[in-house]
Amino acid sequence: MDPPPEQVNYICGDCGMENTLKPGDVIQCRECGYRILYKKRTRRIVQYEAR
Amino acid sequence: MAKKDQRMSETETEEEETEAESMSESESGSEEQKQESKGGGIDYIMSLPDVPRNLPPHVELQRTRVFANIDAPTHTDSIQYSGAFVSVGLDNSFRLDQFRNNFRVEVIRFSDDGMDMEFDMIGIDPALANAFRRILIAEVPTMAIEKVFIANNTSLIQDEVLAHRLGLIPISIDPRLFEYAENNAPNERNTIVFKLHVQCAKDVEEEKGQSKKKEKEKEKKVPPRITVKAKDLKWLPKGSEFYLESEDSNSNSTSKLKTYTSFTCSQDSLPEFSNNKIGFKEPLDDINIARLGPGQVVLLEEIEDEDAETLKKKCPVGVFDIEDIANGRKRLTVAQPRACTLCRECIRGGEEWEKRVSLRRVKDHFIFTIESTGALPPEVLFTEAVKILESKCERVISELS
Amino acid sequence: MEHGSYADNNNATFSLTDEDHTLANAVRFSLNQDPRVSFSGYSIPHPSDNRVNIRVQTTGAPAREVLKDACQDLMMMCQHVRSTLDVAVADFKLRNPPKKDEDTDMK
Repeated sequence: MDPPPEQVNYICGDCGMENTLKPGDVIQCRECGYRILYKKRTRRIVQYEAR
Repeated sequence: MAKKDQRMSETETEEEETEAESMSESESGSEEQKQESKGGGIDYIMSLPDVPRNLPPHVELQRTRVFANIDAPTHTDSIQYSGAFVSVGLDNSFRLDQFRNNFRVEVIRFSDDGMDMEFDMIGIDPALANAFRRILIAEVPTMAIEKVFIANNTSLIQDEVLAHRLGLIPISIDPRLFEYAENNAPNERNTIVFKLHVQCAKDVEEEKGQSKKKEKEKEKKVPPRITVKAKDLKWLPKGSEFYLESEDSNSNSTSKLKTYTSFTCSQDSLPEFSNNKIGFKEPLDDINIARLGPGQVVLLEEIEDEDAETLKKKCPVGVFDIEDIANGRKRLTVAQPRACTLCRECIRGGEEWEKRVSLRRVKDHFIFTIESTGALPPEVLFTEAVKILESKCERVISELS
Repeated sequence: MEHGSYADNNNATFSLTDEDHTLANAVRFSLNQDPRVSFSGYSIPHPSDNRVNIRVQTTGAPAREVLKDACQDLMMMCQHVRSTLDVAVADFKLRNPPKKDEDTDMK
């Protein structure tokens, strides 16, 4: 859908630090090294089927 | 019970036959022609006007009634085959004029708002009645939300759940005014757009609390919450207010309708979508029921006095009533046969009761209960259903030609 | 819609797409009441397919025509049902006008 590789924001599962990752980056918090990151909710309009 | 019927019918038919014979003898004495044809035997007898052209009573009973016996219902099938009664010289094939003469519709009730109705359809085969029922439930079009566009949902309800709930709301707009959208682009002829923009205002809630006692405010440390109902949906006659991201914003002008619906809610809020509260007109449900005609409770013999009392108590829906007859005696009557659910409680007492009471149902009598969601009155819904069946037939005919 | 038939056109199976018990059962009822039909039945080969097969065997008439007549009969019945219902509803509304009027009449 979106051709240019976008930077996506993630929140660290341990310290809560906001990380920005590009495709191919190592999934790791820059602050504490924790490897579980949560994706932030998108600001885009999302379409759903009412089923 | 069945035995008794049979015995009764046998005696009846015998009587009729002997009658017919005696008649034929007397007539044949006067006319020579008939005497000759009498040698033809059964054909001649069948041609006499006095010979019954109907089915024997017990067969007729089995043809038209379902018997709810204590162990299982019997004679449940409808006899459709045209040659089913050939052996008794009866034609069972379809004749439209016969159907027209027998078919009846009786309207029982309309609700005050005219959106619920109950009617009896009498003299129609279950195959057709069931087709109408099935079409009413599944094929008569109704307007409903199909696509949900969520911009910012910070409520506790997930986007998917919210979208699903929105899809359950019946919208009271005549669907006949619209075209089928299918996969076409949304336009003003096939789409309506609603906007849902609600916010749980924290301030209002607290102000209310302050106006009352402060203690109560402390006790009620409940986070503010609002209930979102269907009436919070705002119709956007000019179409969606959302702009597509990928396209230029000016191409998405308001003249073109696009199904975009937004839901926005502030933080620490809890919108609740409860099904029964959602509705554009009234609390609505949509139920179409066709059930096999009114229960027929036949008292095979008169039930009096104490037995009458016990039987009246047995019936949970109050089918029976007691009437006083002479000498202070009481007799049981079937007062409310329509209420009978064929629960068979009245014949559960044992064989003695089964012999005295017979539960039956008329095979070609159907009670339709139609509750409209509010978009169209029930009688229109039913007419639409019948039209849909007609168009199905038309399609088959045109594809065969 | 397909039409599977052999050299004789007395016996045929008709395969209707996008139909189900609703139409098939009604058509079978209508077919069975036709004296020209020696056998008729329908089946849904697989519940996931929107398809129903209707088998018609006749005593001599072309099965295709018999099926057409059966549909014609159904349509006539539908039209009669519709008109009867309209009359019944109109009658009922005439006899029982909306509640407001009733109340005033009673008082």
